[in-house]
Amino acid sequence: MSVQVRLPRVLTDTAGVAPRHEAEGTTLGEVLESLFAGAPGLRRHLLDEEGRIRPHVLVFVDAAREARETTVGPDAEVQVLQAVSGG
Amino acid sequence: MKRIAVGTEKGAYLLEGSGSSWTVDGPMFPGWKVTAFGQARDGSQLAAVGSNWFGIGIHRSRDFKEWSELESAPSWPDGEDRKMEQVWTFHGDGDRLWAGVAEAGLFTSDDGGVTWDPVPGLNEHRTRADWGPGFGGLCAHRVLTSGDRIWAAISAVGCFRSDDGGATWEPKNEGIPAVDSADGGERPEVGYCIHGLAHDPAQPDRMWRQDHLGMFRTVDGGDTWERNEEGLPSGFGFVIWRHPGTGRLLTVPLHSSESRVPVEGRLRAYASDDGGDSWGVAGEGWADSPQFTGVLRGAFDGDESGLFCFGTTGGKLWLTEDGGDSWRELAPAFPRIGAVRLVG
Repeated sequence: MSVQVRLPRVLTDTAGVAPRHEAEGTTLGEVLESLFAGAPGLRRHLLDEEGRIRPHVLVFVDAAREARETTVGPDAEVQVLQAVSGG
Repeated sequence: MKRIAVGTEKGAYLLEGSGSSWTVDGPMFPGWKVTAFGQARDGSQLAAVGSNWFGIGIHRSRDFKEWSELESAPSWPDGEDRKMEQVWTFHGDGDRLWAGVAEAGLFTSDDGGVTWDPVPGLNEHRTRADWGPGFGGLCAHRVLTSGDRIWAAISAVGCFRSDDGGATWEPKNEGIPAVDSADGGERPEVGYCIHGLAHDPAQPDRMWRQDHLGMFRTVDGGDTWERNEEGLPSGFGFVIWRHPGTGRLLTVPLHSSESRVPVEGRLRAYASDDGGDSWGVAGEGWADSPQFTGVLRGAFDGDESGLFCFGTTGGKLWLTEDGGDSWRELAPAFPRIGAVRLVG
């Protein structure tokens, strides 16, 4: 099942990846793994050493903040946002 | 034409020029903290970036303008409670690149930074449970090498030395006061807040150390240290840098651990031309007005030609092109500067 993933510009500009990706999966975790398969460097930027979504990274599925275990429906849009903090 | 790379809290910048004419290119890596620069043996440039949100990354460039992020970077094994917070330093030695990181540890790469391996002899050292962070975190911020003899500086922990190419390590802090030890108490094995480390590559066991509690030197590779800060307005600071040709030593003293700005706002580099026996203000050109700003350990660099440059926590660059006799502040202002590197 294909879903759309959108990434923030501060990440895509520096990591050299596209802002929009097609990814596969039925859970948010699977979608992220599909994303990492095409852009391995993103794993380090989105997950911490324990495999959890980084504390200041927010991942939304269809505008609701979700965890990795969340089921992702057909044609869902996954959006990665950074926390807005700091000067 | 000279090139100076500047790493700041908000991106990197490249200055090109000489004399009174410098151009500024940047920001590179907009929005990212740029924490260290390095160079692989093939001449490619490396920049380490960090983000409060997205972790660390290492980027490579041939021209310091077009960058690509390397797929891997130093990382702690999955499931570790250690966090990879920042690359603090790169050090090249032949085909091998060393990286010092926070949370404190060393990694090496033998393929120009494409892949990185941990240095277990230090990262899993028997004293590791007693390592604690200083104000700047728990970071390995300097690596020096001479054959199989290697030194690593870890803030708030101490200087370590390996005599077998990095397989095993021993703390080397005899003569350094411990940050938290009570007078007369037993000296701890770790807990020595080293801020900077430099040596004479021709006589590598001659070393100088800017410590939290003073300026020190050793002539035996760190087995014993002695204080050498005559002429300095304060023993506190972060920078110790040695000119590879003349042997001139440079530092930028700050008032104290508490204030971390120059004594009375008198921002000055201090130089020693006698191996640290005595120190004095390096040259002229310093601001008459108070400069309540700091200079961090990675923010000072120089080359054999006599171009020395340092950046401040206030985002300004100071440089000399005559080996430290005349200094001036460059006009551009940057975010807080943590890394300066003269790019060959």
